[in-house]
Amino acid sequence: MQFLVETVLNSAMASASTALVVVGLALIFGVMRIENFAHGELYMVGAYATWLFGTSFGAGYWVGFAAAILVTAVLGAAIEILLLRRLRNNPMGALIVTIGVLLILQTGAAWFFGINSNLLVDAPVSGVLSLGGFNMPWHRIVVIAAAVLILTALTVILRTTKFGWALRAVAQDKDAANLQGISIGRISMSAMALSAALAGAAGSLMAPIVRISPFMGQPVIITAFIVIILGGIGSMEGAIVAAVIYSTFFTFVSVYFDTTIANVAGLCLMLAVLIVKPSGLMGKAQKV
Amino acid sequence: MIELRNLSVHYGRAIAVNDVSLSFPSGTVNCIIGSNGAGKSTILRTISGLVRPSSGQIVFEGEPIQNLTPKQIVERGIAHVPEGRHVFPELTVEENLKIGAYLRADAAAVKRDFDAICGAFPRLAERRKQFANTLSGGEQQMLAIGRAIMAAPRLVLMDEPSMGLSPVMVATMGDIIRSINAEGRSVLLVEQNANVALSLSEDAAVLEQGRISLAGKAALMKDDEHVRVAYIGV
Ligand SMILES: Nc1ncnc2c1ncn2[C@@H]1O[C@H](COP(=O)(O)OP(=O)(O)OP(=O)(O)O)[C@@H](O)[C@H]1O
Ligand SMILES: [Mg+2]
Repeated sequence: MQFLVETVLNSAMASASTALVVVGLALIFGVMRIENFAHGELYMVGAYATWLFGTSFGAGYWVGFAAAILVTAVLGAAIEILLLRRLRNNPMGALIVTIGVLLILQTGAAWFFGINSNLLVDAPVSGVLSLGGFNMPWHRIVVIAAAVLILTALTVILRTTKFGWALRAVAQDKDAANLQGISIGRISMSAMALSAALAGAAGSLMAPIVRISPFMGQPVIITAFIVIILGGIGSMEGAIVAAVIYSTFFTFVSVYFDTTIANVAGLCLMLAVLIVKPSGLMGKAQKV
Repeated sequence: MIELRNLSVHYGRAIAVNDVSLSFPSGTVNCIIGSNGAGKSTILRTISGLVRPSSGQIVFEGEPIQNLTPKQIVERGIAHVPEGRHVFPELTVEENLKIGAYLRADAAAVKRDFDAICGAFPRLAERRKQFANTLSGGEQQMLAIGRAIMAAPRLVLMDEPSMGLSPVMVATMGDIIRSINAEGRSVLLVEQNANVALSLSEDAAVLEQGRISLAGKAALMKDDEHVRVAYIGV
């Protein structure tokens, strides 16, 4: 029973972190129609930035967290302005560029921090919550709460601000958005910054829990693509629902069997959903 | 006043608009009629800055605008109701309307215009919290027009507003266009349905394969033998 409760909470934490990553990926796909292969590396940069500013400079976890968001947002905006903007009518070129960015960021991290770094980030709230026989490190609860807060804030921004409407408008109909005087370039840049910051926030939140390495983005991006396909490409609600389903499934299978089986089972889950519903859980068959 | 001076537009090598010169006065409804593929939408898309002309000028209120961005053109006071409506399917009716005022900073005036449009289109007002993709075709057309009006334009470009509408809705659309014009806005209408367009318009031009074949007063054009045979079908 205690084990079950802990596994449920661990699933919730995995879901929270995955949802942050995947929503960012879905957002940028919606606005720019680009699958950003470097998204996992933005997660990695978020973790390193947290260590660098929070731990190494001794400013504390939350300063590191803020720095992670800032650094990844700026990086995202720069990627859009310097690279993707020129490739707006060349989706294949854009895809290859994101793979290039992936390699550059990985190599850069390995260069600066070493391949086998053993960097440790202290959780902002240390210790373990012990309640009626089950034990849960506080930071896992912090991750869940922070992800819920961030995703709620994002939803409010997208639903109630002019920027949010403009972003959704660009995702739904670029020409029509253009005709309202919305600058596609500015919205693409902001969306890319926002998307990168979501990955950065996830990397920062997970930094005290996972091993920080230049390659930590790899499993994350693979999971993210599986979840995106599961949820239905282009659907943000679908992405969140799929993140919860997949992460819970994955956590349970890895706990009761092992991680390798969980990886295979996760892919089988995705295939099973695609067989029943080819457009994904919430994807509209041909929606862009 | 909107004026096209020797305007040519290409898609790749293919020419879509071929040396078109036209001029329409301010404050009136005017139209360009033409059949499928004549280049009507291309002309409107070029005026809005979505497509760049290969040569020629577009002059609006005395200033050339052919090199401006779509955003700058909206700022100059031109709004565009595109062919096929193109409302934002997963924005609510209210969000669709408010995004029409994207570039306007005068919140009070925007609110006033929003209320006015809700008053003029009660069917939109009733559905303001619904996604636009739940509206009927006619309602979507009203929404696309309302969205354009939210930009407070002096010139409204309308690309086949009667397309796909029932005869009753087409008549309603005519009333809507008249009332937009009565507010002091110029309208440039593009239509295959020459009958409706000519009856609403002051001046008219006929576009055939990218070229102007006839231009003049709409009232006279209705009696033109060629126009009647080709575009009215009587
Ligand atoms: N994006 C495009 N790329 C290439 N050719 C195009 C494009 N858009 C239009 N054309 C071509 O340009 C010509 C004019 O098209 P346009 O859409 O302006 O015609 P139209 O008068 O609006 O026709 P309709 O009444 O069917 O809407 C056509 O031959 C069309 O095939
Ligand atoms: Mg057309």
